[in-house]
Amino acid sequence: MPFGPRLGRTGPPGAEPGDGPVPGERPMTVSALVARIRGALLDAFTAPVAVVGEISNFKRHSSGHLYFSLKDEAATIEAVMFRTAAAAVRFELADGLEVVAEGRVDVYSRQGRLQLYVERLTPKGTGALELAFRQLKERLEREGLFDPSHKKPIVRFPRAIGVVTSPTGAAIRDISRTLRRRWPAARVYLVGVHVQGDQAAGEVAEAIRLLDAAAERFQIDTIIVARGGGSLEDLWAFNTEQVARAIFAARTPVISGVGHEVDFTIADFVADVRAATPTAAAELAVPDAAELRHRLAVLARRLGRRVRENLQAARSALGAVQRSVVFRDPGAQVRSARQHLDELAGRMQIALGRSRRVGERRLARAEARLAGQHPRRLLERAGGRLEGLAHRLAWALGRRAKLAGDALAEQARRLAAAHPAHRLRLARQRVAALRRQLEAMSYRAVLRRGFSVTRLRGGRILRRAAEVAPGDVLETELAEGKVESEVRASPAGRSSRPGNAGQAPTLFGSMEDE
Amino acid sequence: MTDKQKKMAKRMSFEQALGKLEELVEQIESGEVGLEESIARYEEGIKLIKQCRAILDAAEKRIQLLAKGEGGQLAPAGELPEVEDQ
Repeated sequence: MPFGPRLGRTGPPGAEPGDGPVPGERPMTVSALVARIRGALLDAFTAPVAVVGEISNFKRHSSGHLYFSLKDEAATIEAVMFRTAAAAVRFELADGLEVVAEGRVDVYSRQGRLQLYVERLTPKGTGALELAFRQLKERLEREGLFDPSHKKPIVRFPRAIGVVTSPTGAAIRDISRTLRRRWPAARVYLVGVHVQGDQAAGEVAEAIRLLDAAAERFQIDTIIVARGGGSLEDLWAFNTEQVARAIFAARTPVISGVGHEVDFTIADFVADVRAATPTAAAELAVPDAAELRHRLAVLARRLGRRVRENLQAARSALGAVQRSVVFRDPGAQVRSARQHLDELAGRMQIALGRSRRVGERRLARAEARLAGQHPRRLLERAGGRLEGLAHRLAWALGRRAKLAGDALAEQARRLAAAHPAHRLRLARQRVAALRRQLEAMSYRAVLRRGFSVTRLRGGRILRRAAEVAPGDVLETELAEGKVESEVRASPAGRSSRPGNAGQAPTLFGSMEDE
Repeated sequence: MTDKQKKMAKRMSFEQALGKLEELVEQIESGEVGLEESIARYEEGIKLIKQCRAILDAAEKRIQLLAKGEGGQLAPAGELPEVEDQ
């Protein structure tokens, strides 16, 4: 019977609403009143309630308790959430946030205040974890924890790797297998932690801090924070602020490999490198030894080949030097040089002698040419030419005569040979005619006809009267003999004497004469 | 730190050794160094190749466990029991 106890403590059952205090009853204390109200309330709300409302006047007390109001358009109720309950709230409370609050209704007697004592708080509409994730991500992002400028480069050839994960999970197996396959030289240190549950976040954060602090001692160049796949709830440790801050604070580069490909955690955003899975994290942490072995082999070949080539080249160069004449017979060059010197000396002598003789010859030639230019010599040469010309003239005349004679004789011979009897007379007549013709061609024949040839002294034939002056001696050749005569008058002589007048008047004079 | 670790620390890292080796090969190939010098570098290169191969071959079989020890620092805590499932 829910109402049973109340019946016993309240007034008479017949009391009407709207009536004042029961007359005659003594006034009760405040405590009694509040206790009575509280009792009534507890009787009315025997089970927890769930209330939808908007948070306002939110306050977080230093004790860890949370105080706020829940309200809707028409009403408000004070709410309190004690520390232990508040710790379970993963998202952040703030004014304006619509929530579903579950708890009890009670009265805070000291202030006579009706309050909702909240045990569980969830965001309205979306899951609490989703909201918490979004809120933390936004806050840390604003703070710059995801900023690429904070990302540290991963060491290419790590000496040791520190791993934070469960010692019994699938993640450490995947990581171990991958590291051993790709880079067995790296030592692997594991700090075992719970990766889910209430302690997980704290253990993971501490393991990161401890590994980072011990990195130098163990030569840990890279830290891997890993966990296999799971629900958002399972992965929650990697979505906490403390893990995010531990990763951010580490001086050693951190690779996160949490969940599956599609899972993104806050740890992924803060980590220096995000890997989709634990295996991928291990792959990103170390180089591939097989690839490096190949690279080493290529380098070894290159190293050896060039040195062998160099050695071979040096060996053949050495061989060439050893085989060379200089190396086998060092005196040969001196001898050869001496011989060359002798040769040069000889050639020099010859050249000297030759050039002297050439000089002498040139001198003699120059003297001879100079002598040839002497006036007397020139005169002699002119006289000689003259004589030659006269000679050639006489010869030419004689030759023509001889040719005519020969032709005549030939004709005679042919005539005589062809028709000796019949044409002899005719031939004789022809011969006579030819002879006469021939004689007429000779000037002597002309002379015989009464003409004469007059020459100046010196032999030149006189053709124009103007060529002579009075007193000149002329030689006239007749058919028989010669006569000498002196010019008494001439056209040139009409001009005044001295006999050798200028050539121009002589020329004009001679023209006048003709 | 064990003797082995000290020795490892004193030795060149793989990265340093590989870098030095590449440098040597390039020097020899460029022909800038004389014969004698190139032979000296060749010998150095051979040493580095051996060293690199030793690092590659130095397989660490086990995973070392670290746990918070005295003074709140991490200390070796044995080896992880064989986790390889193959």
